[in-house]
Amino acid sequence: MMSTQDVKLMAHLMRRAGFSATRSELEKFLDKGYEQTVEDLLSPGDPGNMPDDLIRRYHVEQSELRELSGAGAYWLYRMITTNNPLEEKLTLFWHGLFATGYAKLNQARALLNQIDMFRSYGLGNFKDLLIKLSQDPAMIIWLDNNDNHKDAINENYGRELLELFSMGIGNYTEDDVKECARAFTGWTLKNAEYMAMRAGKDSIWPYGRIAWHYEYRNDDHDEGKKTFLGHEGNFNGEDVIQIIVDQHATAKFVATRLFQFFASDDVDSESHDQVISEMVDAYFDSGYEIKAVLRTLFNSDYFKSQECMYSRVKGPVESVVGTARLAGSYQQPHLDVDKLWFQTMFMGQGVLAPPTVEGWHEGVEWIDSGSLVERVNYAAKEFGDTTKSGVRDIITRLSRTYSEQINVPDLVDGCLDLIGPIQVGDNTRDSLIDFVSEFSDNNVLDISSFDSKGSKCVAQTLGLIASTREYQLA
Amino acid sequence: MTIHKELSIPYLKTIGIVNNGFNGRGFQNPHSVTIGPDQKIFVLNRCDVARRKAIRIGVMNYDEDYLYEFGYGFGSGEGQLALAVDMVFDSTQRIHVTDEFNNRVNVYSETGEYLTKWGESGSGEGQFDGPSGITTNSKGEMVVVDQRNNRVQKYSNDGQFIGQWGQSGSREGQFNLPWGVCVDGFDNIYVADWRNDRVQKFDDSGNYLMSIGSSTPHDSKLLRPSSVAVDSLGNIYVADWGNERVQVYDDNGVFVNTLRGEATLSKWAKEYFEANPEEKETREISDLTPDLPEHLNSPYHISSQTESYFWGPVSLCIDAYDKLYVVETNRHRVQIFQGAK
Amino acid sequence: MEKRQKSLVVVQLSGGNDYLNTVVPYGDDDYYDFRKTVRIEQSDVLQIDKMYGFNPHLSPIKALYDQGKVAVINGIGYDNPNRSHFRSMDIWHTALPDEIGSEGWLGRVIRELDPKSENVLTGVNFGRGLPRALGVRGVPVASVGNLETYGLFTDMQDEAEKSLALRAFTHMYGGMGKDSVMEYLGQTGRDALKGADILRTAPAKYSSTIEYANNSVAQNMKSMAQVLLADLGTRVFYTQHGSFDTHSGEIISHAKLWDEVSGAVADFYDDLKEHGRDEEVIVMIFSEFGRRIKDNGSGTDHGSGGVAFVIGSDIKGGMYGQYPSIKQADQLEGDLHFNNDFRSTYSTIIDDWFGLDSVPIVNGQFEKFDFVKA
Repeated sequence: MMSTQDVKLMAHLMRRAGFSATRSELEKFLDKGYEQTVEDLLSPGDPGNMPDDLIRRYHVEQSELRELSGAGAYWLYRMITTNNPLEEKLTLFWHGLFATGYAKLNQARALLNQIDMFRSYGLGNFKDLLIKLSQDPAMIIWLDNNDNHKDAINENYGRELLELFSMGIGNYTEDDVKECARAFTGWTLKNAEYMAMRAGKDSIWPYGRIAWHYEYRNDDHDEGKKTFLGHEGNFNGEDVIQIIVDQHATAKFVATRLFQFFASDDVDSESHDQVISEMVDAYFDSGYEIKAVLRTLFNSDYFKSQECMYSRVKGPVESVVGTARLAGSYQQPHLDVDKLWFQTMFMGQGVLAPPTVEGWHEGVEWIDSGSLVERVNYAAKEFGDTTKSGVRDIITRLSRTYSEQINVPDLVDGCLDLIGPIQVGDNTRDSLIDFVSEFSDNNVLDISSFDSKGSKCVAQTLGLIASTREYQLA
Repeated sequence: MTIHKELSIPYLKTIGIVNNGFNGRGFQNPHSVTIGPDQKIFVLNRCDVARRKAIRIGVMNYDEDYLYEFGYGFGSGEGQLALAVDMVFDSTQRIHVTDEFNNRVNVYSETGEYLTKWGESGSGEGQFDGPSGITTNSKGEMVVVDQRNNRVQKYSNDGQFIGQWGQSGSREGQFNLPWGVCVDGFDNIYVADWRNDRVQKFDDSGNYLMSIGSSTPHDSKLLRPSSVAVDSLGNIYVADWGNERVQVYDDNGVFVNTLRGEATLSKWAKEYFEANPEEKETREISDLTPDLPEHLNSPYHISSQTESYFWGPVSLCIDAYDKLYVVETNRHRVQIFQGAK
Repeated sequence: MEKRQKSLVVVQLSGGNDYLNTVVPYGDDDYYDFRKTVRIEQSDVLQIDKMYGFNPHLSPIKALYDQGKVAVINGIGYDNPNRSHFRSMDIWHTALPDEIGSEGWLGRVIRELDPKSENVLTGVNFGRGLPRALGVRGVPVASVGNLETYGLFTDMQDEAEKSLALRAFTHMYGGMGKDSVMEYLGQTGRDALKGADILRTAPAKYSSTIEYANNSVAQNMKSMAQVLLADLGTRVFYTQHGSFDTHSGEIISHAKLWDEVSGAVADFYDDLKEHGRDEEVIVMIFSEFGRRIKDNGSGTDHGSGGVAFVIGSDIKGGMYGQYPSIKQADQLEGDLHFNNDFRSTYSTIIDDWFGLDSVPIVNGQFEKFDFVKA
């Protein structure tokens, strides 16, 4: 028998390690139990997402992947239809941390190839991930490593690797930055001159974009001796990365960023520090395995505590994807799927287009009056439609749990349960009850068919719940 | 077993350039090509979502003079198109264009005047769920693939229903989201049975004759074929969309050759480089057919990195002189080859 | 009568407007040598002088020019021109050519105009999504897709249900938050409601004899006029139009775009004049870059060096800056050589129109023009 408490905890896990889950999904996870669900999330199998052949046949822009909105929609399709939600959520995390943006690249496919790389390596060994990141053509152009030559170094990538991608400022010297950059000379992309020129001019001529891949130019690599973080040797990029991943600062940095993304916007209590320190231990004990670090987090008492629940503001992508999954939208190719990408941008998080190398500012900074209006209108539209399979599923469940003739408080409480469960304040619940009462003139609502007024009221109530302050939190 | 000599299919030229605006020469995700009166070349631009209001047909000649274009905008109104797939001239020189979103066929004059439409949504006679490939036979009948109804329908050229066959499945005479269609000189009908990875051949009445691509040797197997065309000798050309190539079979369905694509600069492309010489210089020092790392070593990724190869071959057409036109939606161009003489 | 506050309207031409075919050097034979196909014939040009003239599809702007209301800023650009749309537009938006900036120049202007964010409508964008030019953390800016329907629950068709939903929203966001995050969310929701309520009043108050055309830039400028005339305190208005990325079929598409933009700007000007408000507003029109000197047989490709316009009753009309030479030897990689930094124009507007200090806003000191009437 599953308790309300179990359902609540599982919904919490799925909001954090995924993009929210429908009641049917939660039931499947509950059958397996919490820890097994965590293990399954950490060992993604067949994603079962919308197949590429269907996407490519109907959406020419997602076949060519020339421009940003098509590429963004392509990824959003995957987030919405995958059976491996943590794989996508973690990929979104790496995308925010190793933020690479379209504006300088003008190469959507290179970004999606980078996203694929995050998918393949994101749960694995952090050392491998940093090596692949350093060989990623989108990153190479983004941080100018194609201009990092043995006789003229460009420090940009070397610096950001240390500052933003691994150790954090204050843990290395300016000399370390230079030596790091030297180690990455010769790490470039094929046809770098032509590709950089095309990127710089946003050239798609004559026949669309030419995709990118990594090339190591041995003759442009600085073979000299380097001194990096107290180590000496003729280091190449891989050697430098080995030194980096061995640093305590790196472990702390990675654990903290994962904690902030998956557990709590702010790191401001002893229990937070405690979990992060356990994550650091897991990092070293496992030999830098991200999977082990996340397992530690999800199974920690803190993560499962009431204190942790609703302590993060949902990001725009989480919000858009979560709502689409709950409403059952975009399960088949849809003419207007590109609007989803614009939707994330209007809310302040255009995927594949982070504003700077520092990614997005998260937490309450996601919310301003403009982005809130977008959130509310998007969610109200998604849920306010009784043709959506997710909405219909909720209506069917309500009629089974209660009755085809449902009273006002049951309808409100049932919706709050089935859209989450989501905890709301009394004021919110009272407002919802007032809304439904007025909608129905205080009568019992008939939800026996999907086009009844009662069913429509369920849809509007779900939309209204998605407009609440509480729904903006994860 | 017959030993077959490899059929020679010389490359002739490339027409096209990407167009990211809303009018003018060049293509926007072209989806079909057909040859009209005076050997004029008609190209259907499906257009990506950002430019879909400019959905249109462009008309040019073999020498790459862009002659004119026509379109009535994106939508479901008179003359408008949403998701256009394929087109063909009928025996009275009118162009029929399929629209897999509006579930209808629009008809235009050669000069682009909107004339009429036929078909509607549904699964009954005279109805469509995703009309895609369209062709015409020697009797002037229209043959249309009705993809989500998994059938082929025949109409008169004024849209009167004549007959149909097919159902969902993978057995003989069954389909899984079929796409392109063509007829040969004997009015046999070839259907690109897309998700069954094969081409099926039927006689004029819809009797099953043979399949191509599913039981042939491994390297000539089809993956999601999108289109098929037959030359005057009966050789069968298949756009092997999932493998980014064109497979050629003889009239018995025996594999004879593969085309991978060898695009060169079109007239319009050359003009681009004349105006952008610095880009041309760096292009000339580049290796544009590189070896790829393993994780990008699939046909789709190879084509995304190798500009001269086919990428997104969605439609084939063979003209009266046995010239083969291959439309690549992802490369916004048409590569032209000389089929069997 | 008390003089009202000064406002700025910015019209962004997205995609890279072809300078050579906007203000045409029709007296220069080189122009016709480089522009074999994509050109404006001498006989069609609206002459400014013996050398230069407007594209005929700018005739409403030419009429304003003849009345001395239009400053043409020739040869505008920045060092090491970037020919990528996104990056170059970012540079114009953040006023930072050499690094990736995070603050928009107009966002900074809005912060100076309304330091305590007392009015959520000091800056309003007409169109969906916020252009980077207006984005500064903590500076609220409204983005209005459609003034008539702007606000919450726009997709609810039934008016009675929508009003129930809005009432519920008001109640739900009205309660105290249990912590600072919930309190912040509540305040933001209330701000959103307030902004929408105020904006919605504008169309009802508006009356005018001007009939704007039925295209997006004209309708957006009509909305601007409605907001401006409703006196909601808006000082910065923004909209964009495009796509000016005319690589092919340029003669047809460029003409249509300028018909729309110049018609909209002239209608807007006439509308303000009709209401006696034309002296409060200037309109700046810019694009992220110009296009190649040589055409490609059908259109023109990404170039550098462009033209901007500043239009208004308080503008001293005329030609500003140098029209760059198009001679082969004077070209910059096949493009026009810019000769004045775009931040000169920004600085002129910030200092001389708004009376603010431009240096911190545009990240430096730039030589100003003298196009604002004293």
